[in-house]
Amino acid sequence: MGLPDSCQDLSTEMEVDAFRRLFPLRFFERHLSESLRPDGRPLGKARDTNVNLGLVSSADGSALAKIGSTTMLAAIRMEVMTPSTDSPDEGCIAVEFHMPPICSPTVRPGRPADEAPVISKRLSDVISSCDMIDLKELCLVSGKAAWMGYLDIYCLDADGALFDAALLSAVAAFSNLQIPVVALNDNGRIVAINGDGEQENNASITEKEAVNKEKRKLTLKNIPFSLTCILHKKYILADPTAEEESIMDTLVTVVLDSSDQIVNFNKSGGSALVGSSAIKSCVELARKRGKELKQILGDMDID
Amino acid sequence: MAAKQRDAATTYSPRIIARTRPPIFKDSDLDWTRPDGRGFHQCRPALLQTGAVSSASGSAYAEFGNTKVIVSVFGPRESKKATSYSDVGRLNCNVSYTTFASPTLGSQGTDHKEYASMLHKALEGVIMMETFPKTTVDVFALVLESGGSDLPVVISCAGLALADAGIMMYDLITAVSVSCIGKRLMIDPVTEEEGCEDGSFMMTCMPSRSEITQLTITGEWTTPNINEAMQLCMDASSKLGDIMRDCLKQAASASDE
Repeated sequence: MGLPDSCQDLSTEMEVDAFRRLFPLRFFERHLSESLRPDGRPLGKARDTNVNLGLVSSADGSALAKIGSTTMLAAIRMEVMTPSTDSPDEGCIAVEFHMPPICSPTVRPGRPADEAPVISKRLSDVISSCDMIDLKELCLVSGKAAWMGYLDIYCLDADGALFDAALLSAVAAFSNLQIPVVALNDNGRIVAINGDGEQENNASITEKEAVNKEKRKLTLKNIPFSLTCILHKKYILADPTAEEESIMDTLVTVVLDSSDQIVNFNKSGGSALVGSSAIKSCVELARKRGKELKQILGDMDID
Repeated sequence: MAAKQRDAATTYSPRIIARTRPPIFKDSDLDWTRPDGRGFHQCRPALLQTGAVSSASGSAYAEFGNTKVIVSVFGPRESKKATSYSDVGRLNCNVSYTTFASPTLGSQGTDHKEYASMLHKALEGVIMMETFPKTTVDVFALVLESGGSDLPVVISCAGLALADAGIMMYDLITAVSVSCIGKRLMIDPVTEEEGCEDGSFMMTCMPSRSEITQLTITGEWTTPNINEAMQLCMDASSKLGDIMRDCLKQAASASDE
């Protein structure tokens, strides 16, 4: 970008695609000055979003979330653990975010993506800090057994705003979660007694009292929604694509809960310094986006 | 209980996984049906779709019953720095499983090295490697859910993804497997059937040329059984090839509009 004059001259005669590749920043700034983005969106608008539930039959709860072409598949498996002595009547949720090599040309097998563990940690922080799940609901037998929920989120297609899509798929997977009905057997182990335990040797167990007859679903008290924005000069771009993220490097992610309280705020470096007015605008955009996402999840629950 | 206290972090699944082997079928068991109610020579319904991953050069999603697979193809792109000069292109394959792919797998969703090398061997015969010298084509597969016949589904899906990426090939590639239980041959087996099979047979072929790129036979097989299995696979492959061709034509006509 050291030659603004020469690229000004070239821009008149070059083909659009070539100009986009050679001078990506100028290409974007030209769009931004018209308050429009290359994919036709206004600056503050997120991409089309949809969520599908229960696609993985081998998991206890699963969801596929798509924001534009960014695709996330989240699935929860419930296993039994012995709770720690500090909190004998609490279960646990383990969150892991994966970026398999299929999702993006930059990820190669054997060399995991740098951003995967970062997103993993942030997701696990948000889920534990926003009071979405009452860990006491995961208790089976106080001090003896509790649920361990393994939440695994796979990025199937990485096209920007990975954290937003991952959080959306995680929330949707929790709303889809069906906890298996279990009972305590003679050996002190927890075994499933749901419909697919049709084997005859289960007959003795079926007679046992189910430990969790009523607790088949978790109550999601406080649902977090997030929006990632790019700050570039005076512009704020909501829900960036991978191309936009690679060109402009200041990302701000705001996570709000159902009552519009800020749960998590993250500005990970970048060259632009953020004034308080920009932060306020980001939070305002996140609030609007939260309403949209609530609508999307609400529509889904009716089905 | 002592073991549990020592390691509080260990967890176990409450599901009981049946490990019992059903009795071997005699000739009298003619009324026996498969777990999903299919006929013995009937494949699972297949759903194929191209363009599942936008950032890849080509990609495909395949769903055969409960087996769900995504394959992305990247390239041809620059080979790794350490590799020496090569007149022909290179092929690099990777197959991995999600942690929730199967209830028996446990939490180890890992790379499947054996499948990766079988996928490589199955594909190298069909790709025209000389069309992309000095560069590499990467074929990455992720098994979202494992429901039996995983490798054949991965190979067929990879063939579709390669075609979607516009990599030059001699023909499409399809793979089908057959399980032998007692005297019965079952095409496209599910996990339960694979678990109690006496022998397995997997064939990868180019359906229009009727040429086989890979043939794996393990376990107990008699010659007539092998002939029958081969015929079954050939028929199924040509049908699968037609489905794949339709899928590619649809994608192409959709992108023209």
